[in-house]
Amino acid sequence: MRLHMSLLAGVLTMTVNSISAQTIDRTKPPETPPLPAYHLPPVYETKLPNGLSVVLLQDARFPLVTVRLAFDAGSRFDPAGLRGLAEAAGALLTEGTKSRTSRQIAEQAASIGGSVNAHDSPDSLIISASSLSEHARKLLDLVADVARNATFPADEVKLYQENRTQHLIEQRSQSEFLADEKLDEVLFGSNPYGHTHPTPESIRKLDIPALVHFRDTYLVPNNAVLIVLGDLPARADLLKMLTEQFGDWRKHAVPPVPMPPIPAARKSLTLVDRPGSVQADVHIGHLGVTRASPDYFPLSVGSTVLGGGTSSRLFNEIREKQGYAYSVYSHHMALKDAGVFGAAMQVRNEVMGPALSSMLTELGGMAKAPVTASELSDVKNYLSGTFVLRLQTQDGIASQLAIVKTMGLPVDYLEKYTTRIRSVEPDQIQSAAKKIIAPDESAIVVVGDAKQIGPALEKFGKVEVTQEKK
Amino acid sequence: MRKFCLPLAASAALLLHGADMKIPFEKYTLKNGMKVILSQDRAAPVVTVYMLYNVGSRSEEKGRTGFAHLFEHMMFQGSANAPKGVHFKTVEANGGSLNGSTHPDFTDYFETLPSNKLAVGLWLESDRMRSLAITAPNLANQKEAVKEERRLTFDNRPYNTAIVDVWPQLAFQNWQSSHSLIGSFEDLNAASVEDVTKFFKTYYAPNNAILCIVGDIQIPEAKKWIEAYFGDIPSQPQPHHPDLSEPGKFTPRTEVYKDPLAGVPAVIIGWPGPSRRSADYNALVMLDALLSGGDSSRFSLDLVKGKKSVISYESNPGWPFASASDYKDPSLYATNLLHNPKFTGKEIVGQVQDEIAKIQNEGVDIKELERARTFLRATRIKDLQSALTRATLLAQYEMFDGNPELIVSELDTFLAVTPEQIQAVAKKYLVPEKRIVLEIVPAPKEKK
Repeated sequence: MRLHMSLLAGVLTMTVNSISAQTIDRTKPPETPPLPAYHLPPVYETKLPNGLSVVLLQDARFPLVTVRLAFDAGSRFDPAGLRGLAEAAGALLTEGTKSRTSRQIAEQAASIGGSVNAHDSPDSLIISASSLSEHARKLLDLVADVARNATFPADEVKLYQENRTQHLIEQRSQSEFLADEKLDEVLFGSNPYGHTHPTPESIRKLDIPALVHFRDTYLVPNNAVLIVLGDLPARADLLKMLTEQFGDWRKHAVPPVPMPPIPAARKSLTLVDRPGSVQADVHIGHLGVTRASPDYFPLSVGSTVLGGGTSSRLFNEIREKQGYAYSVYSHHMALKDAGVFGAAMQVRNEVMGPALSSMLTELGGMAKAPVTASELSDVKNYLSGTFVLRLQTQDGIASQLAIVKTMGLPVDYLEKYTTRIRSVEPDQIQSAAKKIIAPDESAIVVVGDAKQIGPALEKFGKVEVTQEKK
Repeated sequence: MRKFCLPLAASAALLLHGADMKIPFEKYTLKNGMKVILSQDRAAPVVTVYMLYNVGSRSEEKGRTGFAHLFEHMMFQGSANAPKGVHFKTVEANGGSLNGSTHPDFTDYFETLPSNKLAVGLWLESDRMRSLAITAPNLANQKEAVKEERRLTFDNRPYNTAIVDVWPQLAFQNWQSSHSLIGSFEDLNAASVEDVTKFFKTYYAPNNAILCIVGDIQIPEAKKWIEAYFGDIPSQPQPHHPDLSEPGKFTPRTEVYKDPLAGVPAVIIGWPGPSRRSADYNALVMLDALLSGGDSSRFSLDLVKGKKSVISYESNPGWPFASASDYKDPSLYATNLLHNPKFTGKEIVGQVQDEIAKIQNEGVDIKELERARTFLRATRIKDLQSALTRATLLAQYEMFDGNPELIVSELDTFLAVTPEQIQAVAKKYLVPEKRIVLEIVPAPKEKK
């Protein structure tokens, strides 16, 4: 392992002090220099004539190559009657092409020390692949084949349908999944952002023509970005390989992104009855913002102060002080054309009422008063520091670059991330909190035993009870 | 912190991989007996401070199940100079992340920080080793947190009760190994401040700990700091480690667990494994890679695809924990398979045993083995990108094997295993006569 090329150039020289047990003061945390600035290694961007965006980053720390091929083709592109189509297309891309069987794809990937698979998110379908760097050419050949030539063999589609049906049963036996599923529905209504999972019916209805249509409509070069990073071949050789593999891939127009209206935020309280539950899963949600919104960075900082770590308000109040929950947090997620802010906890049935009261009070508190100077400075450090920790691995860098490219952001977004976090002011957080975090118009979804927790919930407003899906 | 390395979150297989890598490190012992491993690595401006204690749930006494884990919670409740809340706040305010976890044979704690913040991690770890605040209110609060964790992770989730409470009872006969890691509510309630104090003094002494630091550090400076922060923490008598050996003659066994929370059936199959680092152990690691490593493994190609019976699976030496280091000897090789309800658990067991029989009878194709070797090597390189992984392995290999160098050299040992050795180990260990089976069957909820 050769660890020269510094990913984060020019960082940190430590002053060497002479220290001994006599000279250090153990009663106080040691004084250390401020966090270093982050510098992204140079990113090379180009575009093939067929519209395929290409992003290359040389990272020779480890003898590996990592690839992401990302399409604007996530679950939001699923037709209304065929939820889970993007997910199915992703899963089945690697189950057979014009020239390779599913078995050959799996064996060839393993024999170059790698893997190739594809997953969907609400906005994107992303093929992720990696191998030992000496096999970069073979890896690109595999990625191009599954992206361009997937055939969706009938027996593989049938097996997918059977196993996905069972997997959905397994997912729905978990109360967190039920809570997420319901909250998305409540927040987004019939907008496809509200339906990121298939249903038993949509899995049954899945067929080869639908998969082929999806592939031919969305998996085209002008709708994709290819990210290649790691210990790469020489630039000219690599570009030649890319042209060989992807150059004659035909482009064609992609239909406009479906974006039916999202219902306005409104207060609601939904109880998903899960008889026998010893805990209640509480998820509170509100529509959030995109990464382009001026509220994005204030909301990132605010949501972290509220429930982003082990020194957050929710953790301290609900877990450490009250002992109501083991897990309690808040977070926000930006989609390409929307966002979600959420807070969640799992509490035992007996404390349902007081725990929900506490959580609502904490959410409201973010709008009532500005965060303190120490909360602000701690969270800025936390977000800046852990951002760099995530970039230790090739997968970490690839994932961040994929977010940047699929969200339509400039590549220097990563380099400027910590600066933007640091420039957030308390009044911006409070203003974002009034719109998004304060629970006046939030949706509350609780999954639990209605008999046990129903009465406690009724004190918070009109409860709509639904049955758990199986 | 606060979490087991959750069985269902365990990655499918493999502790292996590496070759042509160099991971320089330096190992020494402080006067109080604390072992130190330092590894400088400039790949990223981060540092991991990893603290490993030689105590786990298999160190517990009867009537005190769940104690090691409850104690792990107490380690985040404050110390003389870093009172309650300060540990979390200090790590996060310095841009770092942290956690701790309890395993059968060890308990660990870490902070990963920007590399110029090394002293912060040392200050925190030394302060709680020196002066943990064991108070009645802290203990009462953490008992509640652990109970909540139990409700969340076990009592309200499918499979986990079967995996963590039922499986060890079936798999092991020695109480030290067979009791629940998270413990019973009764035992948690019974834990007193005196118990916790005694446990701390016995097991959280410097001579029962290994400190491993990996990252962009200056070695001489790190050594000075370590001496300054840890050097004068007094050592304690070496703790007694209980006898973990399995008594008597092995009898194969099968049990059915009805899980009211599960919607899809699963089956766990285990076999007592060879002793750690023996030639058979190395061969078993390769056998596992062939059976379950990646999409081109036999379970994947023959059972998920061929028989269309298994939906997903995970297996490794040390399962249901994530790695072979989770158990000292004795350990098990086990696999957990979620399967299509069209098949019975018994049929799945038969299919898995047939896969093993193919290797027992026909041996291993060299091409297939070569592919598994490449897969292992690449997987290990990927894992070693993270400073935390490197620190974890260096420290654990020191504690379990007395040899951190294994972080690199074990891969060569695995890659040198021959097809004949794999066939032999399959015949010797993975046979029906030495098998333990737990079928997990979805059951209707009880009417209240």
